[in-house]
Amino acid sequence: MTPPAAQQSNNDILVVDDVVVRFDTPDGSVTAVDHVSFGVRPGEFLSVIGPSGCGKSTLFNVIGGLLGHTEGMVSVAGVTINGPHQSIGMVFQEESTFPWRSVTDNVAFPLELIGMPKAQRIERARHFISLVGLDGFENRYPNELSGGMRQRVSLARTLASEPKILLMDEPFAALDEQTRLLLGDKVLQIQQQLKQTTLLITHNITEAVQMSDRILVMTYRPGRVKRIVDIDLPRPRTSEIVGSEAFGRYVAQIWADLREEASRGMRDEEDHMMHPAGSKS
Amino acid sequence: MADTSRVTPLAAPAPVMSPVTLLRIVIILTVLAVWELLSYSGWLYQDVVPSLLAIGGALIDLLTHGEYYFNLAVTAGEVGTALLLGGSLGLIVGITLGANRFLSKAFESYLYYLGPTPKIIFFPIMIMWFGVGPGSKIALGTLSCFFPVALSAAAGMRQIDKTLIRVGKSFRASTAQMVFKIYLPAMRHPIINGVRLGLGVALIGTLLAETKLSNKGIGFLIINAYSTFDMPRMYAMLIVLFILSIGANAVVGRLGGLDTIKRN
Ligand SMILES: Nc1ncnc2c1ncn2[C@@H]1O[C@H](COP(=O)(O)OP(=O)(O)OP(=O)(O)O)[C@@H](O)[C@H]1O
Ligand SMILES: [Mg+2]
Repeated sequence: MTPPAAQQSNNDILVVDDVVVRFDTPDGSVTAVDHVSFGVRPGEFLSVIGPSGCGKSTLFNVIGGLLGHTEGMVSVAGVTINGPHQSIGMVFQEESTFPWRSVTDNVAFPLELIGMPKAQRIERARHFISLVGLDGFENRYPNELSGGMRQRVSLARTLASEPKILLMDEPFAALDEQTRLLLGDKVLQIQQQLKQTTLLITHNITEAVQMSDRILVMTYRPGRVKRIVDIDLPRPRTSEIVGSEAFGRYVAQIWADLREEASRGMRDEEDHMMHPAGSKS
Repeated sequence: MADTSRVTPLAAPAPVMSPVTLLRIVIILTVLAVWELLSYSGWLYQDVVPSLLAIGGALIDLLTHGEYYFNLAVTAGEVGTALLLGGSLGLIVGITLGANRFLSKAFESYLYYLGPTPKIIFFPIMIMWFGVGPGSKIALGTLSCFFPVALSAAAGMRQIDKTLIRVGKSFRASTAQMVFKIYLPAMRHPIINGVRLGLGVALIGTLLAETKLSNKGIGFLIINAYSTFDMPRMYAMLIVLFILSIGANAVVGRLGGLDTIKRN
């Protein structure tokens, strides 16, 4: 396997250094993230891909400063973080809109926190609502929207806070294929425009190859860095690139890596179901 | 043929009154008729079951005299203050317990033990501390109101979607912002329910205290009417009180209901 620490350079804006996360569970300690190290360059689009349960969300929460880690450290622009960092904006995997706020008020939430005057923050919110294609839904409440639309509200809300580093945990998982591609285009467009450093967590290979400068492949439990792949495809990229030959090669390569891990994961889970206690390790 | 009307409900003419309403009216009329019969039968002392006419007269008498409104205002003030004090105290304690596993383990069971205890047993203590005036009534109402609000707030706090809390934290919300922009709105349903229960027991606590020892308030008037054996007046006051509690409950319920429709 690739030596993990090799990929770092010192102008990285976000550095994950030898991070280990263990959970104490009734049947012993579980290592969810195991000595993970990587760096993200300014303006880079990096995807983290891995089978379900490999520790992606755990890593996401550690970088976001919402979860403590057992070992290692995370730093932004050279400064170690110990809690949510101002420069990092997070889009969660789970449903995360506020049901008691309209779409506009949801998106304006981070602006409200910093005390931006009402008229100004509504205007800003409108801008980001339209960016994710939700014009006309400004005054609706989340329970009147589809799951995919709610996810777009969450995305707009995080974008509205204009983070230097955008951290997304499978933001498109709930969307149908067409919407996913279109919204992916949108995110990519925004990312390229703002030169926004983006870390996308996904288990969708096409999505990862289409958007990323680099892809970090994780192993199944314990989550380690299996490989980091440079995606050398021309930009600007749109969903049309999906048909190209080079694209296919990258997909095949990552798929080969992932298949190994995913099948290991499936075996592990079958084992677990047949011998529930003590089958681990 | 009965089936036809079930298949095409729109074709059937809308009934003037729903069967439930009709049943209610019938029951009320029956009760009133039985009451009136009982009153004239002489089986019971006339004073225990006064005729409806006498009660109606007392009601008019009651509502046309300023004295009643003064006492009503006293009681309303006591209940309102109790609700405000007990409600905010309950909210603070409930949120603290809900947010802190350790404190909740240490203290929450006491709330469950004390919650259903009739608070009137503390009335002698309240009188010693706050005197015979409205102070002791407010104290008892506050004490009664505190428990349901604290318990529903603690339970509501634990039911908050953890992801929403993480969203707030990821945007670096301050503690006050977390409380006012996330915890409280996310807990609005359990809180409204708690306040509703709190209002009920605050009313009970206050009135009960007034009937025990006081010189103002509705409870005092009722017990006064009773001790001077002015039964029509007592019933008239009970009726007004009954209607007022229904109204108060409807208002609180409305606040919760409106919220539900639009904001889920
Ligand atoms: N709070 C926790 N306590 C105990 N174990 C946990 C906890 N959170 C996560 N885990 C375990 O850590 C591992 C990684 O979980 P994580 O949610 O990070 O996976 P993931 O890669 O995001 O999966 P998915 O793609 O399905 O979202 C899993 O085995 C999970 O059971
Ligand atoms: Mg996950």
